[in-house]
Amino acid sequence: MVRLTLAQMRRSIGRLSAAGIAILIGTAFLTATLLAGNIINRVTTDSIAAQFADSDLVVSNGPGIDPAGLEDIRGTEGVEAADPQVLRAFELVSGGKRTYQVVVPAASDPRFEAQELVEGAMPTRSGEIALPSDVAERLGLGLGDPVTVVRSVWTPGAEDAAAGTGTTADEGAPSEEAVAPEETAPADATADGDGASAPAEEAAPGDEAAPGDESPAGTFVDTNEKLTLVGTLDDPMGAYAQVGGAGVLSNDDLTTWEADSYVPGEATTAYNAVLVALAPGADLEAVRSSITSSLGGDAKVWTSAEYAKEQAAQMTGGEDVFTYVILTFAAIALLVAALVIANTFQVLVAQRTRTLALLRCVGADRKQLSRSVLLEAIILGLVASVAGILFGIGLVQLALTVAGTMDLGIPLPPVVQVTAVAVLVPLLVGTVVTLVASFSPARAATRVAPLAALRPSDAPTLTSGAGRVRLAISSILVVGGAGLLVLGVLLGQQGSAQAGLLAATAGGAASFVGILVGAIFWLPKVVSLVGKVLTGSGSTAKLAAANTLRNPRRTAATSTALLIGVTLVAMMSTGAVSARMSMNNELDGRYPVDVSLATDGYDEFGGNQPVALPQSTIGTAEKVDGVESVVPLTATSVTVDLDGSDITFLARGVDPEAAGTLVRDKEAVQGLAPGTVVVPAGVAKDWGISSGDQLVLAAAPLPDDGDPQGTPATLEALVTPMGGRALLVTPQTLEGVATGTPVTSAWVGLADVNDAASVVPALQDALAESDLPIDVTGAAVERAMYQKVVDTILGVIVGLLAVAVVIALIGVANTLSLSVIERRRESATLRAIGLSRSQLRWMLAIEGMLIAGVGAVLGILLGILYGWAGASAALAVMGDVTLAVPWRDVALVMVVALVAGLLASVIPGRSAARTSPVEALAVD
Amino acid sequence: MDTTVYQPIPGTAASPGTPAVRARSLTKLYGKGEATVRALDGVDVDFEKGAFTAIMGPSGSGKSTLMHLLAGLDTASSGQGFIGDTEITALGDNELTRLRRDRVGFVFQSFNLLPMFTAEQNITLPIELAGRKVDAETKEWLATLVQTLGLGARLTHRPSELSGGQQQRVAIARALIAKPEVVFADEPTGNLDSRSGAEVLSFLRRSVRELGRTIIMVTHDPTAAAYADRVILIADGRIAGDIDDPTPESVLAGLDALRTLESDPADGLTGTTTAVRA
Repeated sequence: MVRLTLAQMRRSIGRLSAAGIAILIGTAFLTATLLAGNIINRVTTDSIAAQFADSDLVVSNGPGIDPAGLEDIRGTEGVEAADPQVLRAFELVSGGKRTYQVVVPAASDPRFEAQELVEGAMPTRSGEIALPSDVAERLGLGLGDPVTVVRSVWTPGAEDAAAGTGTTADEGAPSEEAVAPEETAPADATADGDGASAPAEEAAPGDEAAPGDESPAGTFVDTNEKLTLVGTLDDPMGAYAQVGGAGVLSNDDLTTWEADSYVPGEATTAYNAVLVALAPGADLEAVRSSITSSLGGDAKVWTSAEYAKEQAAQMTGGEDVFTYVILTFAAIALLVAALVIANTFQVLVAQRTRTLALLRCVGADRKQLSRSVLLEAIILGLVASVAGILFGIGLVQLALTVAGTMDLGIPLPPVVQVTAVAVLVPLLVGTVVTLVASFSPARAATRVAPLAALRPSDAPTLTSGAGRVRLAISSILVVGGAGLLVLGVLLGQQGSAQAGLLAATAGGAASFVGILVGAIFWLPKVVSLVGKVLTGSGSTAKLAAANTLRNPRRTAATSTALLIGVTLVAMMSTGAVSARMSMNNELDGRYPVDVSLATDGYDEFGGNQPVALPQSTIGTAEKVDGVESVVPLTATSVTVDLDGSDITFLARGVDPEAAGTLVRDKEAVQGLAPGTVVVPAGVAKDWGISSGDQLVLAAAPLPDDGDPQGTPATLEALVTPMGGRALLVTPQTLEGVATGTPVTSAWVGLADVNDAASVVPALQDALAESDLPIDVTGAAVERAMYQKVVDTILGVIVGLLAVAVVIALIGVANTLSLSVIERRRESATLRAIGLSRSQLRWMLAIEGMLIAGVGAVLGILLGILYGWAGASAALAVMGDVTLAVPWRDVALVMVVALVAGLLASVIPGRSAARTSPVEALAVD
Repeated sequence: MDTTVYQPIPGTAASPGTPAVRARSLTKLYGKGEATVRALDGVDVDFEKGAFTAIMGPSGSGKSTLMHLLAGLDTASSGQGFIGDTEITALGDNELTRLRRDRVGFVFQSFNLLPMFTAEQNITLPIELAGRKVDAETKEWLATLVQTLGLGARLTHRPSELSGGQQQRVAIARALIAKPEVVFADEPTGNLDSRSGAEVLSFLRRSVRELGRTIIMVTHDPTAAAYADRVILIADGRIAGDIDDPTPESVLAGLDALRTLESDPADGLTGTTTAVRA
């Protein structure tokens, strides 16, 4: 029987290899994912290990090691040097450029130095700094150049902490110690486009020792330190690659600054880890035990390698999630591959009906036939999986080789390390999936009656044979799933997004499975309907449409394979576009204009002295591509007498006409004229102001130079849907209230707000050249930020799903070529009675496009429905959900499906066209 | 390409002088060098218009090859074949396709109907493939064919719902629908029982006598050949005999004469319905 199976496989080698490719791609995907996960882990471990350089031991302690403990370690016999592991982040300023930079102290022993000098020297005394060469270049620094480091210093006595903004910054209360305004930088400023606040938070948890409730009076004040660049660094092992490289400060500076950054008595310096280098000849184990005993408590002494492994294990908890997510997509790809395999085996069994019947005639029992099919599946699964694993390894190796030639700043292993798991799991999964997919065809093989051998051979057909059980299961899943889906949407709309999303996901999954299970009942009917429409367009199309209906089950299975991938792709992009639209609407309501540039942006409460925005900044902004117009706004602090107390506000002066052209909601500035003041709805609500109230605006007393000049004005309040907290008047009115009000901000209108993702960064880059810190805020800025996130995630997901779509398209090609083989005689007949070669090829092309197109259209429709349901469930908490259709993506999917259907028919079409009309006369 | 050449010649109006189909030194070789087989060896033959001609011969005699070449299904090694005035041996694939579509009809041993179409759709398929509308004239012709072939009640049935004889009659209607200059029938009764076979053969004869068509039939059955107006005998790739107004007896006699010519009498034994074709 084995010999017979092998012989049959040899005969069907072409068909089997087409099916094998589906499994090959699936297992290659799986292997590559597992290998990539390994590489990520290894790179993480390596880069952590690199931080320990050539140290021998690492000492760690749960609560941290205090300076006394460090001295203990240094005093232990056999220890030649010991350095604490310290990572801090500071803002560096050079000219108009600024960046957040992680720094480490200079090593006391060269064995602890993880980085290499490119030029210059390591800092040895206070006032010196070494920076990664790329950072130095970005800041435009050469050796010997000065660079400013901004650090927070606890300053006692500055009691009047900033109100409202909640930052630990000092702006609310300019004090004696405060440096000139242009040198203050908000601690959480991210407007410089470097996005460097993240490493600051990560690397310097100690800095978070912000004033607690019971802290002594005082506040943190940003202080500038002028340092000299003495060296540039390279990080060959990628020790600090994850934090964007590390600068090196002298130990003295770092220790002093460290102490300054704590509230006295609140926290003390404690090190997570201390690196130890042994004296020559010292015994590692002896030193290890003496350090352990001298520190006591939870102290642990590791070798550097052990510690790196331990740290990496802690860190990669998050990265494993990433691997699992990708594995989900690999699972989808394999599911689609299983459909393709099942389809192929169905056809193979059908084609072999005569042989199988003959075998039954000569004495083979049902079990033997079934075993033969299953054996065939196992062999195919094994061979395809092995090929897929090799292919996957090759892909990862290729990626490594390509990445190796590019300077990514991460030391990647040059050769992929193949682990047993990365080979065995795909091998097992690939084989089992193939085997399971062949169960139903194997059962079909046992149903072949011996009598079939005696019947004249007709074109093999599979009766639809879809049972009532299938219909029942499908109906229950679809109805139940749809119910859950609706429940999810309702839950989401009532504010419980998480429960809603959970219900919607479960409902979506259940109903989708139901739809797939029931595809055999309705999909062929849809194809038939589409086919009927096509029938009008000529005899070739009529033939093609009729052909797709000959074997409903096969057409359904082929379309279904494509349906899965397309539905998921359409769902993701519908969800993304709905989320984007909903967020846009939400932002439009929150911000009056696309972008606003301000020097005083953090203080819309009017507690700060306005800082002038240079005319050159407005000129710079106007020149940025995609910026349509820029309108300057003057501003000053004013007080308004409300219910007997003077409340300070920021008042802005803007030309009503220019503002009208810029604001997103014209109503926001409607009625702005001399004699009126626009009160943002939020402010009006908080202070009980309503339209028509008479407000008296007076210049607020300035903190530093005495009384302001100007005459208070009585203005009629206009409450409008304006965003923000600042009152709006005309510039003339403001000038009357406070003489000499400077321009402090500007409104920027974009030509097309949908270009935010490219215009906003360009604007930020252009403004970064300025010496003043300028806040860039507004709807477009947030839009640019989340658009990037949404687009990146969507791109990755669609890319991963594309694998499933590719496999499905192979399925379409496979089905077509099987049809061609089956219909050899028929093709020849058509050729004999006058079908030209190109008509024959065209017939198959239409058939391919019909199968692929119907799968794609249905997938798109389902995907849009699911996307809407998901968006409704998840986004309802944000406000009104806008349901949108991603037309561009829909069109793209449609075109891809049709072109792929067309391409899938090329090879089968060629072989069909080669059929000689003489074969119509052949009798088999 | 001169399209006027491909206009179907209407009815039986063609001048009686030109034969419908001609072969001149038609030769077909298979294989190369030592293994070369002369399937057809310089055949010269004319087939008259409005006649029902049968080609007979033992297995491997070359009768099927001759038909393939004359119908433009296969290419000749040398020599010429004509349908009317068109030299088919000089045509390319696309021209041959149009020739088959417009000027030649086929009837196959295994019927070769398209399973997904009804009988009527199968019959009109050649018209549709040619991109023509089923016009009034065609409808009239279809009605005539349907009536002659006795298919009236079966037009909406699919092939799987028809008996073998009915399927073959549908196939004959399909072959005649475009009013081709010549219909080639390859063992049209090979898959039928004798009663259905006789029915099909009389329909073929009626098509010639009543509808004025030209039919060339390949068969190994002397009884079937006897329905024809003329029988051409082929042996070893050459014309070996020509019988006008054949009867089963005269055909058998002709075959016997052929048999005595052969070196091995056991080979090429024909006349039984189980013979295996080349």
